Amino acid sequence: MMKRTFIPKLDDFLGGGIPEGSSVLFCANPGVECEAFGYQTLQSRLEEGDQGFIFTNVAEPSSIIYEFDKLGWDLETNVENENAFFVDGSSYFIGAPVTGKYGVEDYTQIEEVVFKAIADVPNGVGIINNLSTLIDYLGDEKTIEIIKNWNESAKEKNTILLYIFTQWDYEKDVIKKIKESMDCLIYLSTIEERVIIGQGFMVTGASWTTPSSNMVLFNVIHPGGVKIFIPKILVTGPYNAGKSSFVRSIAPDSVSVDRMALGQVPTTIAMDIGHMEHKGFVADVFGTPGQERFDLILDILAKEAVGAFILVDSTAPKTFARAKEMIKRCKTEAIPKVIVANKQDMTGALSTDQIRDVMKLDQTIPIIPVSIIQNEGIEEAVDGLLEMLYR
Amino acid sequence: MNSIESGISGLDEISSSVGSKDGVIQENSATLVYGPPKVGKSILCNQFTYHGLNLDEPCLYLTTDQSMHELQQNMMDFEWFLQNPIEKELLYVIDTLSPLSGEEINTTTTYKVSKINDPTDLMVKVGIGTRFVFKKSNKFRSVLDSLTTPFAFNPEALVIRFLKAYIRRLKEAGATVLVVYTEGVVDEKTEKILKSLMDNVIMMDGEYLTFRSTTGLVGTAEYNITNKGIFLEKGKTL
Amino acid sequence: MILMIVRVVSGIPGLDELTSSEDELGLGLGGIPENTITLVYGPPGVGKSIFCHQFAYYGLKQDEPCLYLTTDENLQELQEDKTNFGDDLKKYMESELFYVVDAASDIEEELESSDIYHISSVKNPTDILIKVSQGANSIKQKNPRFRAVIDSITSILESNNEMLIVRVLKTYILRIKEAGGTAVINYTERSADLRTEILIKSMVDNIVKLNGNEIVIEAMRGMGIKNKSYEITEKGIIVE
Repeated sequence: MMKRTFIPKLDDFLGGGIPEGSSVLFCANPGVECEAFGYQTLQSRLEEGDQGFIFTNVAEPSSIIYEFDKLGWDLETNVENENAFFVDGSSYFIGAPVTGKYGVEDYTQIEEVVFKAIADVPNGVGIINNLSTLIDYLGDEKTIEIIKNWNESAKEKNTILLYIFTQWDYEKDVIKKIKESMDCLIYLSTIEERVIIGQGFMVTGASWTTPSSNMVLFNVIHPGGVKIFIPKILVTGPYNAGKSSFVRSIAPDSVSVDRMALGQVPTTIAMDIGHMEHKGFVADVFGTPGQERFDLILDILAKEAVGAFILVDSTAPKTFARAKEMIKRCKTEAIPKVIVANKQDMTGALSTDQIRDVMKLDQTIPIIPVSIIQNEGIEEAVDGLLEMLYR
Repeated sequence: MNSIESGISGLDEISSSVGSKDGVIQENSATLVYGPPKVGKSILCNQFTYHGLNLDEPCLYLTTDQSMHELQQNMMDFEWFLQNPIEKELLYVIDTLSPLSGEEINTTTTYKVSKINDPTDLMVKVGIGTRFVFKKSNKFRSVLDSLTTPFAFNPEALVIRFLKAYIRRLKEAGATVLVVYTEGVVDEKTEKILKSLMDNVIMMDGEYLTFRSTTGLVGTAEYNITNKGIFLEKGKTL
Repeated sequence: MILMIVRVVSGIPGLDELTSSEDELGLGLGGIPENTITLVYGPPGVGKSIFCHQFAYYGLKQDEPCLYLTTDENLQELQEDKTNFGDDLKKYMESELFYVVDAASDIEEELESSDIYHISSVKNPTDILIKVSQGANSIKQKNPRFRAVIDSITSILESNNEMLIVRVLKTYILRIKEAGGTAVINYTERSADLRTEILIKSMVDNIVKLNGNEIVIEAMRGMGIKNKSYEITEKGIIVE
């Protein structure tokens, strides 16, 4: 029987949900909010009438109840009703009183205790938070052995086991063995441009289905839980570089917005807003007006954008200075950007190398030759930006 | 490579006395400040932080040994008042000690908490904090004071893993990082690994401050802790 | 503006003079900085316990409550220390100023707990921490400042995994500071691993060493290293 997690998009990627008795590894880059995935799955299953437990070695049960509360879920009542319980592997080690149905006062007890917990919730779900701490306490060989045993036991009892694992710099061999002992791998990663600008998840393996290989951006909202994040992509550039055409080309349903209320005074601007889907990547596209007087909007939008296309007219080098200024405005927000050198079909169009020279841009910013009118280069431009986002 | 104004009187001058343009602490470097207990390592970091704040260089401060309240008090001992920088959102503090009391803590935009035995959560907070501070200024500092409590509450290996990720994250963002470590808390082998993760090392023993930077600069000077902070006597390079 | 570090009178004659500094407006007020943790350490038999008794008793005489964690001497034995406590301990307990967590009594003995007297065991540090925290909490409701003593941490270290005690101690320190207390902790040098000793020394604010002849202030907030000779008399420790 497939058990749904009710985490947006995840169940689709998993082919409906998680089969009973499966083991799932949430493998996270350091810095990604990963606990919410385990907690949300547990919450969903509890709401569906299943039972569950949380084994914790990183936070006391009362802390976790507080986390659930912040997410908008009442774990406390479920614990009182004995639908959910804790295996407390954290409190003793920080000198706090051990709470929960089972407590651990010695790391050698952990294996046994979790066996009991698994047996207590047949057809239910168990969360192991966090596997990394186990490895560094028990050693990698012992931990891998224990995981295998737990997974076997879970299969027998039809209990789903979800492991939260932070992929610190463990040896490749160790990580490989851990992954091999799981039925399903969900990779949680940071999206970075000098700093973390986003997080995404992706199902990279499942023993029961072929997962679609899409990475989905997400945020953890308090309250709310894991929510898909639709990023904003800016399309900007000097006047007449082809922004509107570009937006319409990548977001066919885009509309032109003529008025926008900024503060108390409505201003008349032409802005193109659309929704883009390209190879599984979803984004809202904002084409900004090119005139200088609207740079304030550019600043505001740049704050929330995860990437930018900067259109330039390859035949109008005089506008390059203006383009550079707009790049600078995006730069402070450290977002990945791609220069779309439009109008390559026209005579007098500078080559991308020439453009790079004139603009004095360093090699880290790609310049893609494009002719929107001839529908050429657009796909390459979008691929270019996406590649930078998901590097 | 540019060097950072450390704010420690006499420290930056040591290298300039040899005519070298390299200061002791280069921008975007990671420096380990270590020595026995109670020699002034925290004071050095606080001085470094405060000096940066005065230059409008924000600081991402991870406090693990002391609560935010104690940090403020310690700063006040030297008349380093944090109210203004906090108001200007230049000081971003992640406090892993206060939650140990079991009470719920009120956080703000620039004051967050994490659990001392949950490096995963701490890393999430570090990521968020780094982004916040980076947006304030590309030139910023970060202090981890200190590794002692993390080593007491976590397996050694895990702390080292966290440290690697922390340094990587902060350096990627352009920060200049100081990490405090009390000598003897871990064994020699781990201490070696610790030092190898850093660009520079500052050793304080109560009398002398000795530094070693990756630029090859090695120097030493006597130091004193006064009520205005740490002052170095005229030092010499080796 | 000259910042004054608020200090509490230690109760050890001569010590406060040693810790006073000219910077502080020339008032010569010495003592242990308020709201800090002081480690009093040294070999066995140099007067560390007596130091603790004196520190506690001085506060009691000023109506400052004291949260006393005792691991070697049980309550009865404390009460028998007339030199320092006089006959007054019972009186201070009645007026709820002297709060005891007694980890030295045999559990077999029929001793009643009360609001201000709790029994625990050195083998159960978590329980000790709970009782001490309760104590700090109830004192804090009534008094903005108080004294706290651990006499001694050595016995607790000897009966448990040292790292666990380091963590418990860290939490203890946090709780005492939050509640406004000033604590003194008695530790016998070299009774634990070197590593544990270093950890403990880095967790406290002030370090005072007694070696039988001299008292050395190895670290104290707001001052450098100082030392003087001392004696243990019938009146307790006196610093020269």
